[in-house]
Amino acid sequence: MSDSVVTVKDLAKRYGSFTAVNGISFTVAAGEVFGLLGPNGAGKTTTLECLEGIRKADGGSLDVAGCDPQSQEHNLRSRLGVQLQSSSLPDSIEVREALALFCSWHGVPFREDLAQKFDLVSLYSRQFKQLSAGQKRRLQLVLALVNDPRVVVLDEPTAGLDVQSRASLHEVIRSLKDQGITVLLATHDMAEAEALCDRIAIIIHGSLAVIGTPQEVTAAGNRETKILLHTSQDSLFPGETIGDAVFVSAKEGYLEWKCRDVAASVTQILGRVQAAGDTVEDLRVERPTLEERFLELVEGN
Amino acid sequence: MKAFLNYLWIQFKIDLRDKGTLLNFYLVPLAFYLVMGAVFSSVTPLMKTTLSASMTIFAITMGAVMGSPTVLVRMRESGTMRAFKVNGISGSAVLAVQAISTFIHLLLVSAIIYIVSPLAFHAQVPPAPLIYFGVVAVYLLACIGIGLLIGVVAPNQSFATMLSMVVFLPSLLLSGIMFPASMLPAPLLWLGRFFPATFALQSFYGLAYHSSTDIGPMLSLILMLGFSLVVFILAFWRLNNIRQNEGR
Repeated sequence: MSDSVVTVKDLAKRYGSFTAVNGISFTVAAGEVFGLLGPNGAGKTTTLECLEGIRKADGGSLDVAGCDPQSQEHNLRSRLGVQLQSSSLPDSIEVREALALFCSWHGVPFREDLAQKFDLVSLYSRQFKQLSAGQKRRLQLVLALVNDPRVVVLDEPTAGLDVQSRASLHEVIRSLKDQGITVLLATHDMAEAEALCDRIAIIIHGSLAVIGTPQEVTAAGNRETKILLHTSQDSLFPGETIGDAVFVSAKEGYLEWKCRDVAASVTQILGRVQAAGDTVEDLRVERPTLEERFLELVEGN
Repeated sequence: MKAFLNYLWIQFKIDLRDKGTLLNFYLVPLAFYLVMGAVFSSVTPLMKTTLSASMTIFAITMGAVMGSPTVLVRMRESGTMRAFKVNGISGSAVLAVQAISTFIHLLLVSAIIYIVSPLAFHAQVPPAPLIYFGVVAVYLLACIGIGLLIGVVAPNQSFATMLSMVVFLPSLLLSGIMFPASMLPAPLLWLGRFFPATFALQSFYGLAYHSSTDIGPMLSLILMLGFSLVVFILAFWRLNNIRQNEGR
């Protein structure tokens, strides 16, 4: 991709005899929100840490906004913003002081604009230990943005947040995309990945299992769609295969089938209901979700 | 440089807000000083002579050896050092800021003890005040160096506290600040010479109070300086070593 801002090529990282990352390659385009998904220990954080320049890669090449993170750390710091998975600040530092400290260290004027945009002004005199989990994440995100980075790495930014804080942070990530900032997002939350990411990569055992848009990744797996039906007289018998639709189960008044040709199967099932003089109370068609695709990949190893 | 000074100023304010740091740097040493000052000056009038020096050694040892390591270990454990690193604030800068901030706090405490001692306890004012504060500065360097080294060596806070106690208690008991070192049996007298507090007291006696000493006061000062240099080098080397290992 010609306008790629992040390039990872054959990245390898070993800890003794354990291979954490095994030849991963991907590119991320400018302004893209790119999600890294995978089970615990899959190699997401190690991949990000190599890109952040805080971990030495054993093989492969990396490029972040024109810098090699492994050898050009100073240049990297001016182009990359990082929110680590587990990081903190001194308990007694005030929000204003934290912002002033990071601005001065990046050599930029105090970012009052960012504080206003992310509603931190009212928290200026609050100490870090007095902030809620959501406020801490918001502050850490702002600190990652003080240098106007071209790329921002967010490692599980919404882990442990309540629904409101999570929604608020999602808005922030969308606004970063609107500003043309490239975002690398590691997350365990499939709904988050589907809602925010332009493309995702699923890493399993240090290797890239699949990469693409959330829709492409979902579609690449099990293509069977679920049909759930509840009728007023339960006229259809459990266990009955209807055309292409293979019966799966009967639960709480609903009969469930799986099929590949949804339109044909629904037509056939409804025809059978009508023929039996029954009426439909509820009909649901559920396409495979990203989470199911993820589990399919993980469980299928 | 501006960023460094800004960080130093913020760190100084953080220290004043942090209850643990405030206790170790100011409250406990000054409370101990007031109690012991009253006891020493009434029970052993001879101790009045060098009350400022002995209580300053206590305060510096308490603040730098007991107080500063836990701050560093907490920063490492909580991921603050990593957050700083990805924003360009190096571990060396963190160590330097901690060292200078601790130096300023404990120099202030030393000045308070110096000023209050003659007023409250009729202690002798050292005849060479500038040299007195020179010795204070060198002893501060030695103790802060030890504090930093413990802070980067200890894997967790409880281990740091244990290491601090290993330095703090013998410094207090074997250096001669609580009672004359000449009363100690020979093995303990020699053991006391592994701790900079012993040499600090000798330097104070000989150089600032013009009293007789067991060890040459200039030699004591030079030994303290050499010791400071070694522990600072070790602390910075160890931190660099940790960083490299973390990155592997």
